[in-house]
Amino acid sequence: MSAPKEQSETQGRRNRSAGRPAASVNMDELRELITLLRENGLVELELENEGFRVRLRREAAVTEPAPIAAPSPAPAPAPAPEKPAAAPAPGGPTHPGTQATTAASQDQDLHIIPSPIVGTFYRSPSPSADPFVKIGSSVESETVVCIIEAMKLMNEIQAETSGEVAKIYVENGQPVEYGQPLFGIKPQ
Amino acid sequence: MLMAFNPRKFKKILIANRGEIACRIIWTCKEMGIKTVAVHSDVDRDSLHVRFADEAACIGPAPSAQSYLNIPAIISTAEIFNVDAIHPGYGFLAESPYFAEICDACNIKFIGPRANIIRLMGDKIEARRAMNEAGLPIVPGSPAGVTSEEEGLKLARDIGYPVIVKASAGGGGRGMRIVRSEQELGKALETASTEAAAAFNDGTVYIERYIERPRHIEIQVLADEFGECIHLGERECSIQRRHQKLMEESPSTVLTPELRKEMGEAAVAACKKLGYSSAGTVEFLLDANGNYYFMEMNTRIQVEHPVTEMVTLADIVRNQIRIAEGEPLGYTQDDLLIVGHAIECRINAENPETFAPSPGVISAFNLPGGPGVRVDTFVYSGYRVTPFYDSLIAKVIVHARTRELAIARMKRALEAMVIEGIKTTVPLHQKIMDDPRFRAGDIGTDFMEYFLARNGRKAAAS
Repeated sequence: MSAPKEQSETQGRRNRSAGRPAASVNMDELRELITLLRENGLVELELENEGFRVRLRREAAVTEPAPIAAPSPAPAPAPAPEKPAAAPAPGGPTHPGTQATTAASQDQDLHIIPSPIVGTFYRSPSPSADPFVKIGSSVESETVVCIIEAMKLMNEIQAETSGEVAKIYVENGQPVEYGQPLFGIKPQ
Repeated sequence: MLMAFNPRKFKKILIANRGEIACRIIWTCKEMGIKTVAVHSDVDRDSLHVRFADEAACIGPAPSAQSYLNIPAIISTAEIFNVDAIHPGYGFLAESPYFAEICDACNIKFIGPRANIIRLMGDKIEARRAMNEAGLPIVPGSPAGVTSEEEGLKLARDIGYPVIVKASAGGGGRGMRIVRSEQELGKALETASTEAAAAFNDGTVYIERYIERPRHIEIQVLADEFGECIHLGERECSIQRRHQKLMEESPSTVLTPELRKEMGEAAVAACKKLGYSSAGTVEFLLDANGNYYFMEMNTRIQVEHPVTEMVTLADIVRNQIRIAEGEPLGYTQDDLLIVGHAIECRINAENPETFAPSPGVISAFNLPGGPGVRVDTFVYSGYRVTPFYDSLIAKVIVHARTRELAIARMKRALEAMVIEGIKTTVPLHQKIMDDPRFRAGDIGTDFMEYFLARNGRKAAAS
């Protein structure tokens, strides 16, 4: 079950400027990473490079541990700015993609894979299976990176670009909306 | 078929629409304590319906086919957010029996009538036949689609000229031709059919007698799922351009209480016979002698519903939701109240003289207020009107004790309805308010033709 064909035209945001190579990590860089994690409202950050691997994780306010059927929305996300600049009124609705969009907007050097459809994001073909890709995985344009379930159909999403997975913006089992960033790919 | 759904209260409703109607539905949901989920295309991210919903999801790119008409994306969103019901608004999927069936199959209540009624009323030929059987008079016409010029000529001779050729699947004036003589008929059948095939994917056309200078009068009905049905009086919608309504009012200046009762009761009886439920509108043509003919039924909330809400104090959206929840209507016809007079002007992002669309950024925006004024809108200062959807950006509705006072109130409301940066139909409505024929209540569906000719713009009318 592959995603609709239109998706490729709609992936407008392509940024192919080269990222800087992170050879090793020292304490300063680690602090920087933690700040990055917090500021972008990320829950998990994994960095792997030449035998070196850092994995940072923090408690999100409420993040569902991937319920298979009808995951509850209203994820009451960790505080993240969610105001579209032009809109007048205070407040605003809960958008599933707000956090990821904010996070991805910082990653100018990455190619973003957006969700082509609205649905539920799964990183692996089944709950017990290994994820399709992890941080550091190499992807080709045909590589399946995740599944988005919509109306009980499992849509395999392909990378449509090549490079290395640098960011995963969505937790397994979370709802995603159209255009929401899913992965950040470092072009090679 | 009856009660395929267990009655229950809704906690959360998804609104499968955009624009002013999505906001309108959200306002009532807020008053009812129901959470709302907005869906939107990627160009509608900054729209007010997204802003004021409790939750929202982007469901696709700008083209409607990939967003607001994208059934899998909408159902998928409904499942993710775990909604109890979907309100379709008007347009888009509001009259798709297929969508209503999918909602049913997914155990999500579709806020509207049952799919089989939507399907029946969506086929204009079948609808006419069914409503005629249910007791409503119809304009004399062909019983089914006309397939050849010969057949058309024979039918038209029996019906009597002038006749109108209409698309079976039609609406919005496409696939329509007025024919005054036999010589014109063949070509009219052909062009109407071609137009219909292009617009609706169905080239079936039919013929009926053309009524000169009719009024478009429609009856608002409310029916519950237990067979109770009432009407909320009429709306006068004769002011149209190319079969698109521009301005509506209630009550009509020509309906006597007796005629209102007769038309209302006829509409209610027909709806009861068909097992109609939810809000609906039965549209009639009314001729100069007080004869009325069923035209079509809209199985949804309508753009012009606020004028009825103003004079009856009913909240039609609230009633749609209550009925969908499985509640009984709770009113009888005797409870109907019609107080004063209401007028609605549709403010479109269009050049008021050429009617060309005028998308762009609204640089300044002021809402009229004060006594008896209501504005339904989804735009604000700084909002970009996109070219992707219909041009309706606001509805100004006024309510006053009499028609004369309502016109005065509308004039001053339009004066304060400031929209800069794009062109709108505000100046057109201001001129109509000053037109002697309009002020005298002397209107018919030919009003705009007269009005534009009088104002030096014959070409724009049709």
